[in-house]
Amino acid sequence: MALATLAMADAAESPQAQLGLIEAAKAGDLAAFETLMRQHERLVLVTAFRLLGSLPDAQDVSQEVFLKLYRNLGKVEASGSLAGWLYRVTANACHDVRRRKRPAASVELAENLRAGGADPQQAATEAERRRVLEMSLRLLPEKERAALVLRDLEGLSTEEVAGALGSSEATVRSQISKARVKVRGFVERYFRSR
Amino acid sequence: MHCKDWEERIALHVGGDLPAAERSAVERHLAECGGCQVLWSGMKESLELLHGAHAEPLPPAAYTAVRGRVMAELAAGRRVWWRWAGGLAAAAAIVIMVALAVWPEPRVAPLPRIALAIPPAPELHLTLAPHAFRAAPLSRAARVSKRSPQPLLVRLITDDPNIVIYWIAD
Repeated sequence: MALATLAMADAAESPQAQLGLIEAAKAGDLAAFETLMRQHERLVLVTAFRLLGSLPDAQDVSQEVFLKLYRNLGKVEASGSLAGWLYRVTANACHDVRRRKRPAASVELAENLRAGGADPQQAATEAERRRVLEMSLRLLPEKERAALVLRDLEGLSTEEVAGALGSSEATVRSQISKARVKVRGFVERYFRSR
Repeated sequence: MHCKDWEERIALHVGGDLPAAERSAVERHLAECGGCQVLWSGMKESLELLHGAHAEPLPPAAYTAVRGRVMAELAAGRRVWWRWAGGLAAAAAIVIMVALAVWPEPRVAPLPRIALAIPPAPELHLTLAPHAFRAAPLSRAARVSKRSPQPLLVRLITDDPNIVIYWIAD
């Protein structure tokens, strides 16, 4: 069994191999499930981290997503796209986490944004710009942030983003454009005010 | 200042999300409008920086921790399941044993009694001449018995008055 799992892991890129792993995991092969998890852990954890901005929260979401995957292997197999399913479930789980979190978090972030980089020498550095960008991303409304993360950072097409977020492509395009304008606005205002 | 009307389309153009028909219109406008060019380049830079900010990989330990937690939970779930299954099997065995011990023996309906009534055998009328008997005792006797006028009739009477079994033997 272990050898079969290793062989499938080698050919993990092909949909057939992935289907084989799903079948084996469905039959109770935990090693096959672990292989599936290794193949997709970056997708889930990084997306959750980008959506939530907190590694511990992202790890909790990843755990939840993979346990859900184990319980829904049949549905995933039927859906035909494991990555699409994972993006959708991850986005939903992050949405739940953000809803549970206190709304004061965005206020704290805005204060951080104003207070950060007190050293004038640091202000123009790229690292500082990155930090500001990261924080501006967290200040975006949830849907716009999710659309921007999936399209610009994860590189999904607008159609795939629409599928993951349960929206239409037109809505996703509108969210993406608003998010890009806002991020650029945050950055410009921040550096102009210094 | 950039043109508000073009903002959304420029933002989509930066990421390559505009349909081809609209793309050329935006490019024509950008060629003529300095304010929108600034907006476009600012947005382009922001996106590139955003990519850079997220290019750093997460520490491998972060993945290992999640994997460990998931696998531990799945293994624990499986142990619980086996414990449940074992418990259920033991409980089922006890219930079956108790049921066998306590349950009254099933009543089997008695089979209908069969009374066997054999009617008296038909009389054989044998009148043999003494000389004939003497001459061929065995073969003559056999011939006489074959000529017996009635077959042997066995009548079986059951408890059920509707069932009577007849057995006729030559």
